[in-house]
Amino acid sequence: MNGYFGEFGGQYVPETLLPALTELEEAFAAASKDPSFRGEYGAYLRDYVGRPSPMTHARRISGNLGIDVYLKREDLNHTGSHKINNALGQILLARRMGKGRVIAETGAGQHGVATATVCALFGLPCAVYMGSEDIERQKLNVERMRLLGAEVVPVTSGSATLKDATSEAIRDWVANEDTTYYLIGSAIGPHPYPTLVREFQRVIGTEARAQILKKAGRLPDAVIACVGGGSNAIGIFAGFRNDPVELIGVEAYGDGKSRHGASIRFGTPGVLHGTRSFLLQDEDGQVRETHSVSAGLDYPGVGPEHSFLATTQRAHYELVDDARALSAFTMLNRLEGIAPALESAHAVGYLEQYAKDHQGAVVVVNLSGRGDKDLHTVLKEGL
Amino acid sequence: MIAEAIRNRERAIVPYVTAGLKGLDATGEIIRALDAEGAALIEVGIPFSDPMADGPVLQKASHMALLSGFTLDGLFGRLGTWSASVRAPLVIMSYINPLMRRGLEETVARFRDSGVEGVIIPDLPLEAGDIYELCLKAGLDLIRLVAPTTPEARRREVVSQCGGFVYAVTVRGVTGARADLPAGVRDQVAGIRAFTNLPVCAGFGVSSADQVSRMLAFSDGVIVGSHLMARVLEAHDPVETARLTFASLMN
Repeated sequence: MNGYFGEFGGQYVPETLLPALTELEEAFAAASKDPSFRGEYGAYLRDYVGRPSPMTHARRISGNLGIDVYLKREDLNHTGSHKINNALGQILLARRMGKGRVIAETGAGQHGVATATVCALFGLPCAVYMGSEDIERQKLNVERMRLLGAEVVPVTSGSATLKDATSEAIRDWVANEDTTYYLIGSAIGPHPYPTLVREFQRVIGTEARAQILKKAGRLPDAVIACVGGGSNAIGIFAGFRNDPVELIGVEAYGDGKSRHGASIRFGTPGVLHGTRSFLLQDEDGQVRETHSVSAGLDYPGVGPEHSFLATTQRAHYELVDDARALSAFTMLNRLEGIAPALESAHAVGYLEQYAKDHQGAVVVVNLSGRGDKDLHTVLKEGL
Repeated sequence: MIAEAIRNRERAIVPYVTAGLKGLDATGEIIRALDAEGAALIEVGIPFSDPMADGPVLQKASHMALLSGFTLDGLFGRLGTWSASVRAPLVIMSYINPLMRRGLEETVARFRDSGVEGVIIPDLPLEAGDIYELCLKAGLDLIRLVAPTTPEARRREVVSQCGGFVYAVTVRGVTGARADLPAGVRDQVAGIRAFTNLPVCAGFGVSSADQVSRMLAFSDGVIVGSHLMARVLEAHDPVETARLTFASLMN
């Protein structure tokens, strides 16, 4: 069925929004086939974002673990994460559709910064919805968004994190769909967003595949990426889907007990934010509150295509808790001179476990963002 | 019968009540009070953690109901008694996730067995035909919403897979009381009538007796939710407050 990945996906939205989703779907389909759109997108990725992002051989970590680790350096993109790839693609789409205003949700603030950046670039007014709890733990990104001219709208409802910010952005869109483009930041939400976001993040996987073939002389044994909503993972996976390569998503295991964001491992199928996917929910279908030290993984759902990849066993999803992510953060600083975002530190944090059974393997880790924004949190956690 | 319950009223007002706000016992008493004041039918809203189509008032009502310990089993324990004690048909309004959690078919059947006559789901998927069939088989009306943005082809499809009444969402935006009557409502309702003989009720944004009267000039019924729940949220005596608020709309 159109807009589904197996039993996952779909368009579970207020009737008011259906025409806007159809309009978006048609605009995206037309843009994808238009060489001038693709040319424009490619040129901005090159000249503004700085793509291709490099791939770095993590020499000291590789030596310590007995596996060959390559880092796909999305942290080196303009604005410091992979989020800009998608924000840029979608803003070009918004312009093509003639929308005069942009809204977005953000968790860690990376997507908010990326959206505020492209809105500044094209002179469009921008409102970013952000949970008040996240505003507190991601102050630097909040100031950056304001500096870029965006309005940061605090969301205090529910758990005051990414899921509530997303609900609030949808409410804005329901009221303003004719004038406003909703620039969603992860591979979540109603169709066509999960597909659209994957396609704008596919560049990570396409580049990474060519780079690893050049550097290691072969395909990797595994590709590892953190998964909150799952946009960086779905982007890098897209480059290796048809290869004999193990795809590993890493979910946030929070406190390692009951408070976490591991929807695929511990969730059940449900509908949140317009899509059917694995969801952390109680017996009555009420969405559970989540926890992760990284705001970007603090989300009770996950992109529907990940649920599909998990149930079809094309990818598997592992757990890394706050403590292991924090020690991976320190390790990458000390051994490679790189400060990863706490989200990306979850992917790095899985390496030790992977290495136990895969000595000599070649792996690519998607280093989806840089960690400057997390210093505040890391220092508070006492490193 | 939902359609008859609306047609039989000269002033058909459909109140919405968040189940479990101020506790389920209060909800039951509110439903009985609204029935006594002449509600055409009563929407029983299932609170949800992430009500993306709702404005601040119904978000808060939902949140408070969940905080005070609302459960579906608690509701099922009372629904039968409620529906048996009122004249107005009861319809359930719920986001789709709580209905799907234990299986849509099973949940819908439980509602029917509790005397509920219809279901309203604000986040039905694009292809809602299957759910319409499922409700039809269970003996429940699936009441569909038509938005100001809904194009003609979709409007035609929606009303052909709709039971009880057609819910005309009169505003672009989330639920919540507005001071003015939205522009274009009359045309919107006429646009729905072109394709169906079902009653058409207008909702979203209604907050005064005067608005109700003006809307009833071209619609069969008017739905009132946020205006009522805003007062219940603040009330010391939620039952009497609900009764008085509703009564003021009836006159």
